Amino acid sequence: MTATTTSLHDMRASTAPGFATTLQSEWTKLRSVRATWIIVALIIGLSIGVSALTSLVAGLTYDNWGNGAQASFDPLVSSLTGQLFRLILLIVLAATVVASEYGSRMIRTTFIVNPRRTQVLVAKAALVGALSLVVSAISVPGMFLVSQAIFEHYGLATASISDSDTARLLLVYTVSQGLVYTLIPFAIAWLLRSAASAISVSIGFIFLTSVLSPLVPVWVQQNVLRYLPDMAANTLSGMTETDASTHLAQGPAIAVIVIWLAGMLAAAAFVLNRRDV
Amino acid sequence: MITATGLTKRYGSTAAVDGLTFEVQPGIVTGFLGPNGAGKTTTMRLILGLDSATDGSVTVNGQSYRDKAAPMQEVGALIDPSAVHGGRSAYNHLLWQAQAGGIRRSRVDEVLDMAGLAGVARKKVGGFSLGMHQRLGIASALLGDPPVLLFDEPVNGLDPEGIQWIRALMKRFAAEGRTVFVSSHLMSEMEQTANHVLVIGRGRLIADVSVEEITRRSALSHVKVVSQRAHELSGHLEAHGASVSNGTPHELTVTGLDAGAIGAIAFQHGIPLDELSPRRASLEDAFMELTRDSVEFRAGSRPSDPATDVAEIARELAGKAN
Repeated sequence: MTATTTSLHDMRASTAPGFATTLQSEWTKLRSVRATWIIVALIIGLSIGVSALTSLVAGLTYDNWGNGAQASFDPLVSSLTGQLFRLILLIVLAATVVASEYGSRMIRTTFIVNPRRTQVLVAKAALVGALSLVVSAISVPGMFLVSQAIFEHYGLATASISDSDTARLLLVYTVSQGLVYTLIPFAIAWLLRSAASAISVSIGFIFLTSVLSPLVPVWVQQNVLRYLPDMAANTLSGMTETDASTHLAQGPAIAVIVIWLAGMLAAAAFVLNRRDV
Repeated sequence: MITATGLTKRYGSTAAVDGLTFEVQPGIVTGFLGPNGAGKTTTMRLILGLDSATDGSVTVNGQSYRDKAAPMQEVGALIDPSAVHGGRSAYNHLLWQAQAGGIRRSRVDEVLDMAGLAGVARKKVGGFSLGMHQRLGIASALLGDPPVLLFDEPVNGLDPEGIQWIRALMKRFAAEGRTVFVSSHLMSEMEQTANHVLVIGRGRLIADVSVEEITRRSALSHVKVVSQRAHELSGHLEAHGASVSNGTPHELTVTGLDAGAIGAIAFQHGIPLDELSPRRASLEDAFMELTRDSVEFRAGSRPSDPATDVAEIARELAGKAN
């Protein structure tokens, strides 16, 4: 209570702020709320847990399956059933990191202490992207390995991580989905400034391709859908059969993803710098 | 020093801030007085670069806020203190700000101590009372030990002890040579803390005066005198330098002489008095008088009657005072 102010320029140990200090500050924000760690725990727990559960059910009921079902059993696809939870929760994580600051109006303090808005956006994007990669690097191989162990225990066919197609799929799921499913919702959250709307728009937009592709004419698939980020990520994974007219080749697919991420982040930064906080 | 030049912020056709031109000097506490909704917070947001001006400009020490290399070490601001993430501890809330501003970590403990929050540093701010939020907001403003401080309604929600504390703090900062700019919707609060006030109403500057001037004018009392020989007395009072106006034929309103002097003059001339009563001008009257010029100057520039506007503003400012 007894206020002892230090003298006017006693800030010798302080430094000029820059990108490194912004990154440090945003990391403190991210790590110091419980919500971050709850979502991280949910992503890892639910994705691996659900995959383990469905693998267990497959193992227990396999003998009762028809011949056709047994023949079409794919140990790789069947091990990744927890994917949906991971992807949706990554969207929630990224949207919440941005929108919670708007929800609490703390965003004003953020831009009072650091008026370099693009710098704040880039630092946040780097941290959310990195966190998503780490979480994905645990949950994707986690789903796969736990399920393969269960399949093996019940004498089912198994896939091996040393197989190059399998390894590629796991890598693409970890990296390209890890980035697409966080940075696009992240950018949308800056634009919409509300967690609820950012999450619903992101889910709608990202899953659009998977929902629409069976329903729309081939022309739309060729000229629109294959340029959407989720379709491009699927192409990379090798999971979808590569039909040259509705899917891109590897190189262009990577380019499409990069352009989407850079474009969305640039749009968010552009609007952020021009809009009143 | 804060310098605004023709500062204007329009939302559609409504001007929240309308052509403000002023300077806020270092070394004194400058009050920013206006009714709720007058444009005080918008002006603060414009100073801090949160909003961009439709027209005109505002600088802090000659540079606009968003161009500053280390803004926290130059300007500290208390705006909207309840805008915090409730799940974060007070310590971490200050830590991320210190890190963003390039301020050493040990400074966080210092400002927590200063704000009387050292005991709750590890508690989540979601459980804080209005007064504690206010203290936390002040702690963040002090993090960079800045030479310029902006406080938006700092006494809101503080207990009497907290109000004394923030008043003393602001006065000391000014005495240390800092620029202190404080907004309030209460004239009485400004009389307690400010040396100078900018009065704003409906986005326009209506007065830029020292508090001394306001106090002098509000102390400017008149004396009501009732006498059957009022006309005769009036001549004697004017001879002593008073200015006299007639209400009714027997009633005088005297300024420039106090009741004692008027009584003595009446006695000296053998004039009996029916009533002799000193009247104090209200804060509202003083304010009205102060702003009269600016009102006339602006007459015709608004669809509504400007005199009525200012009267309304004056009533709001003074009326809410205790």
